[in-house]
Amino acid sequence: MTTADDALLADLKRVLGDRVRADSAERALLRRDASVFDGGSAGPTCLCESTEEVQRVVRIALAHGRSVVPRGAGTGLAGGAIPLGAPVIISLSRMNRILEVDTDSRNAWVEPGVVNLDLTKHLTPLGYHFAPDPSSQQVCTIGGNVGNNSGGPHCLAYGVTNAHILAIEVVLADGEIVTLGGLDAEPSGYDLRGVFIGGEGMLGITTKVAVRITPNPPAVRTLLLSFDTPRDAAATVSAVIAAGIVPAAMEVMDQRITIAVENYVNVGYPRDAGAVLLAEVDGLPDGVDIDAQRISDIGREHGATDVRQAASDEERMLLWKGRKTAFGAVAQIAPNYYLHDTVVPRSKLADTLEEVYRIAEEHDLAVVNVFHAGDGNLHPLLLFDGQEPGIYDRVHAAGAKIVEASLAAGGVLSGEHGIGVEKQPYMHQMFSEDDLDHQERLRHAFDPACRSNPGKVIPVGHSCADIQSLRNVPEEVWG
Amino acid sequence: MDLGIDPDQLGTCVQCGLCLSSCPTYRVTGDEAFSPRGRIALMRQVQLHDAPLTAEVTEAFDTCIQCLGCEPACPSVVPYGHFIESTRNALTEHRGSRRRAIALWPLTKPRLLRLGSSLLAVAQRLRLVPARLGLPDRLPLRRRPHQTSGTDVYLFTGCVMDAWQREVHFATQRVLEAAGFGVTPTGDAAGCCGALHTHAGLAAHGERLTENIDAALDPTIPVIVNSAGCGAHLKQHSSHQIFDAQEFLAEHLDRLPDVTPLEVNVAVQDPCHLRHVQRAHLPTRTLLRKFVSLVTELDDEGLCCGAGGAYSVLQPDMSQQVRERKLASINRAQPDVVASANPGCSMHLSAAGVMTEHPMVLVDRALAANSSTT
Repeated sequence: MTTADDALLADLKRVLGDRVRADSAERALLRRDASVFDGGSAGPTCLCESTEEVQRVVRIALAHGRSVVPRGAGTGLAGGAIPLGAPVIISLSRMNRILEVDTDSRNAWVEPGVVNLDLTKHLTPLGYHFAPDPSSQQVCTIGGNVGNNSGGPHCLAYGVTNAHILAIEVVLADGEIVTLGGLDAEPSGYDLRGVFIGGEGMLGITTKVAVRITPNPPAVRTLLLSFDTPRDAAATVSAVIAAGIVPAAMEVMDQRITIAVENYVNVGYPRDAGAVLLAEVDGLPDGVDIDAQRISDIGREHGATDVRQAASDEERMLLWKGRKTAFGAVAQIAPNYYLHDTVVPRSKLADTLEEVYRIAEEHDLAVVNVFHAGDGNLHPLLLFDGQEPGIYDRVHAAGAKIVEASLAAGGVLSGEHGIGVEKQPYMHQMFSEDDLDHQERLRHAFDPACRSNPGKVIPVGHSCADIQSLRNVPEEVWG
Repeated sequence: MDLGIDPDQLGTCVQCGLCLSSCPTYRVTGDEAFSPRGRIALMRQVQLHDAPLTAEVTEAFDTCIQCLGCEPACPSVVPYGHFIESTRNALTEHRGSRRRAIALWPLTKPRLLRLGSSLLAVAQRLRLVPARLGLPDRLPLRRRPHQTSGTDVYLFTGCVMDAWQREVHFATQRVLEAAGFGVTPTGDAAGCCGALHTHAGLAAHGERLTENIDAALDPTIPVIVNSAGCGAHLKQHSSHQIFDAQEFLAEHLDRLPDVTPLEVNVAVQDPCHLRHVQRAHLPTRTLLRKFVSLVTELDDEGLCCGAGGAYSVLQPDMSQQVRERKLASINRAQPDVVASANPGCSMHLSAAGVMTEHPMVLVDRALAANSSTT
């Protein structure tokens, strides 16, 4: 460690005491999040417990010419939380209090480190839940959900995180504390709250969030439909939406991932089906029964070989547990995965899927598909063993082809995982120079010196200030 | 340094992080180094990349309670328990195992253990034992001897529990007898099971103790264990038929008499080694529902209480922080009593002022109340 680091560390310790960690073990651990990207050694990690502490740490980092990277549970899949240039890591996991719940106004103030599912569990006895339910909801934090505008299976009917956030307290890159949005139905001025959500930590650091809470539906029906091919499942999804039904969720998994998931949850997912569709409808009891029947009929018209309805809450929870832990379950097949998150128009789902299988085969890679079919959000997982020489080149090349195919089908780069460093190289394919300039200017309005999570999202070359604020950027973030 | 973990198995963690919330030490610290994902990453660094065994690295390994709450949370079924056990063994060898071996030696000498316990009981009555040690309120001065009532099942009596909580053994035996089973308490013939040794990184010691037990007992007779930690260890290491007491009796519920349930609100605290290792925590509820008026669930998804065998003594700070979470959950549930099927957990919670009972004691009490009224 250099003398400059020592001075920084001394200042940080004055604020946080032993809640600053700068040892080699911690620096190594925070090189990564849940993605395949390696950000290089992290700077000091600050386990903050209050907005004021975050503010002071941001100011100290600024005074020492260092950038900051916020981190929640580190479950991001696009490398959004990796530490490019040895930044000061601001860990928000200890800021995990649910501050206030107001069922009359249907909102709650929470700290950013509150685990998504913990919030829902806290609300359950009151008859409410927090609607965005990313697959990692058992561990991911509300702050991370805000940063990535996270989705989840049930966002098909309920909308993604943006629709469930009323106000955000933010520590800006210069240490100023502002509140964006408000609890009023129509807060005055521009919707800066909306601008901030999905900012991936580059517009400031979330320190408090007012979330909308959603009443639990009176009735829920969960169907598991089996098909011979993913194409049949995808066609069913399009047909269900075309029939005017808005299910709470529609999720497809192909055979390989279904088998891996079944190995873990043991709830009776069919091992012999080419694909399964997990569909859920909620609402009033009579309505959901009708919709469940209609989905079942549409499924059979499109080749469903079996339709099963969850008989109990336990069974329903287990089916969902299987779907939601699918990414983690792939280690049963291979030790590393690379996951894309493109979105295509629903009508192009089946064709794009077949293209994905073809691309994987062409690159001699295993692939499994599990996706939010209802909104056309693909999650192809390329599976590989990172120890194999030259493997990352192949994975990278296949990934690029998948993105290309999705964009060609009229799709977009990311449904919900964010851009991070993962899709940064593809931004040019999606946006014109002009678009990117505007994005960069928006970012500068919040963070003129590019100190907050630099080096992410906006492609290198478009963001000179970013490069200056990065130190020791690894040449290659892969693996 | 070689931690003795199969490198292929070490590769099965994809770092998704779905284990984080199930890890008590991550829950209280929010620090990656105290999470299963972080610890596995450090094991990789040490074993595969020869990273130095710094104080922070060993702290990360030493602070794992080995509750294994992360295992059921892992969709890739990473055998974390093997990893940490292997790591602990390698560390113990590296640092020297003598101190730990000496500290655990009394467990293998039942008479000495009981004598020591009686002395401790005297000291307690003279108010010489600080409460923070977490010992049972009043250790017994004397113990009635065990009585054999038949050979349908063994009741495994173990080491510390036999010295400190023999009343729980008596209660368990009475309930088994009420269900029509003749019981042979194993007594000193089959002493310590070796669980704490294995936990402390003395696997070879633990193995030997388990072998002693296997040799002393008739393999055709089921062994009933009422300490979740011992049961988990024996299920993994013994060749005999091992059952947790509640698990066994829930299977034979119809053999127990119908009685008026005790008017009491019981919150079930799942010992980690019953829930995550034996995965046999539900029978406790099945059994209790027949004998108490209300069974209440805690809302913390079976997160560890921080006892962890000798953990509460070795890592008192972390252990107490973890316990705080459990106490908060118990407070929200407002039970009359907390049922815990593991002596370590119940002592750890009692030391914080929680009223705890072994589930078998509650069942026994319900049966006794009934026989006294009819």
